[in-house]
Amino acid sequence: MIHLSSFILCLTGFAALAVAMDRPQHDLFGRALPAPATVALRVGGAASLLGALGLLVAWQGWGLGLVMFSGHTSLGAGVVHGALIARGRRAARSN
Amino acid sequence: MTSVAGRVRAAFDAWGGPLVSRIVAALFGGYALAALASVAVLALPMSKPQAVLTGEMASFVIYAAAVIWVFAVRSALRAWAGLLVVAAPLLLAAWSVW
Amino acid sequence: MGSPSVTTDQQARPDGRGLRQSMSDLHTWVGLLLGWVLYAMFLTGTVSYFKDELSQWMRPELPALSGVPDQALVAQRVADELVALVPGSPQWSLRLPDARNNSVYAFWRTAGAAPGQRGFGEGNFDPATGRTVSSRATLGGDFFYRFHFQFHYMPVVWGRWIAGIAAMFMLVAIVSGVITHKKIFVDFFTFRWGKGQRSWLDAHNALSVFGLPFHAMITYTGLVTLMALYMPWGQQAGIKTAEDRRQLNAELSAFIQPGKPSGEKAPLASIEDMVRQAQERWGRDGVGRVTATHPGDAAARVAVARGDGGRVSMSPQYLEFEGTTGKLLAVHEGVGPAAETRGVLYALHLGRFSDSVTRWLYFLVSLAGTAMVGTGLVMWTVKRRQKLPDPARPHIGFHVVERLNIASIAGLSVAMAAFLWANRLLPETLADRANWEIHGFFIVWALTLLHGVLRPAKKAWVEQLWLAAALLALLPVLNAATTQRPLWRSLADGDWVFAGMDLMCWALAALHAVLAVRTLRHQPKTRPARKAVNKPAGAAVLREG
Repeated sequence: MIHLSSFILCLTGFAALAVAMDRPQHDLFGRALPAPATVALRVGGAASLLGALGLLVAWQGWGLGLVMFSGHTSLGAGVVHGALIARGRRAARSN
Repeated sequence: MTSVAGRVRAAFDAWGGPLVSRIVAALFGGYALAALASVAVLALPMSKPQAVLTGEMASFVIYAAAVIWVFAVRSALRAWAGLLVVAAPLLLAAWSVW
Repeated sequence: MGSPSVTTDQQARPDGRGLRQSMSDLHTWVGLLLGWVLYAMFLTGTVSYFKDELSQWMRPELPALSGVPDQALVAQRVADELVALVPGSPQWSLRLPDARNNSVYAFWRTAGAAPGQRGFGEGNFDPATGRTVSSRATLGGDFFYRFHFQFHYMPVVWGRWIAGIAAMFMLVAIVSGVITHKKIFVDFFTFRWGKGQRSWLDAHNALSVFGLPFHAMITYTGLVTLMALYMPWGQQAGIKTAEDRRQLNAELSAFIQPGKPSGEKAPLASIEDMVRQAQERWGRDGVGRVTATHPGDAAARVAVARGDGGRVSMSPQYLEFEGTTGKLLAVHEGVGPAAETRGVLYALHLGRFSDSVTRWLYFLVSLAGTAMVGTGLVMWTVKRRQKLPDPARPHIGFHVVERLNIASIAGLSVAMAAFLWANRLLPETLADRANWEIHGFFIVWALTLLHGVLRPAKKAWVEQLWLAAALLALLPVLNAATTQRPLWRSLADGDWVFAGMDLMCWALAALHAVLAVRTLRHQPKTRPARKAVNKPAGAAVLREG
């Protein structure tokens, strides 16, 4: 259960961080988001990642917690990246 | 004399001498430096087993850094010079404990 | 040394090339030279995260583990058996069953082994009876595990040196790769896939970046596991007396070394009671190993060591008992800071502390590392194919790399699947059976190399990938036909080792099938001739659509 919530936190964290960047904003919304929204996404994303770290460390201590965090972040970032690519390809095909 | 040295130098370069020199520096020079460091650690004020293990663990980082250094600098000569500059104090420290 | 020599050297390596270019070259060549070795190490290492499960699957005669048996009782049972089996052994050590092991692995020094003789024996024991397990002879998952750092058909030390050199190359490849591509880390998600970039490069980058903490960690900690072999100089300079050696050893391992026997016979005290004391300290399933020195002698010692679970460190923690009385002599629970650091690094590499989710994370990220090495190898040929004067007739170096890639990537999958097939198909009565499973692995691997050399490259890729997919997909069928534990039964019984293995085989078969289809469909596109390329017709450029 804690594994699942940490993974979801990592996933949303990286998704927010990705959407906070220029090019994904153009790809997804066709324009740049207003600056405050970008800042909010960046802060929210970072907070989400920190939340996952906190959850795991509180559960298993620093040693195991950090190892698990490293695994969840790798996987989470990979999934977000894969999703952006898949979306980009579909967009390219439908055009 | 200069011309002979110059010709030797030219032949050295033509046959890929600087590259070979760097490869030797990275493979063997790097290992020698790492090994030297792993002995030099014994001069630090800690117990023998801890010093031995610290040296062993640090040696691979030093080896990797040495290889990167050798290929990052402008010339093969500099690469060797850099290794020697670091090796000198390590050699002193290692000498004191061997 | 005058200035002319410096200038000539600089001319050989002009300033304009810059740091990035030298690091890129270093990355390419360091990666290629031992890339095939690294790929094999990565893949066999990756599956070794499930070594214990693999061993269980390869010994289908042993019943599935339903809960961990009481370790104290098991320890006593197997200890009794060992006392009877190898009397006078100066040392034996047994690994107790845990959540992932349904047998007790023990090894012992043989009494009075002549110099030059192999002074060790080993065996697997049934926790329920204490007897040697009656299962087919196999090395199980330990084959991939050992191959991963010492290979086979060569002295162990040679293999370990090769693995160490490969790991050192990997470490340099990682650092130089990071320096070359440091921009990626700054703006990763803005990185474009397949747009103006070759998608191979993109895949390689993505796999590298996401797993970077793991890749760097696993490479460095791999070197640390065998560091005393690779860097013995500090030990030679600093550890001179027997007492020094004993102190160093105590920092590293829970194996107590046999001293001098007294020559006076005396039976061992209750091992069960000793393990009970350890259980009180570390929990019911928290004991890892029992080691006895000079059992049966008045000078016997017993060490009961903590297991690997739930603790990110392999540093020794053990209770030391007087063998004949069972009196607790010492509690070893802490080591020095450097030894503890080493214990943590070692544990990080093996990942034995993991719960099942963490184990899967290890497996997946490690698989990404394998794919990183594989895409890197393939990229070398993809990049160079563009520069070939005539792609239909590549030069010999290109040819060698291309063929070796096929056998070491697709061929390894085929060979590993064949190893599992051999486990199910070889008759149990075959002499030297465990070794024939291994010979089978290497024979099939060699055949894939031959096939790769004889067939056109693309056909060889596709055929071998399909073969691997077929072998994997049919493995659950073979398992159902040759054992009492087919998928429907293992699912019904909640036997997750067997069910998981079957399902995993299908997942991996699907992966190989996808790769085969993609390779088949892959059309090297002809790009309009660039300025540098003068042969428009021959300028085939590999670009994926």
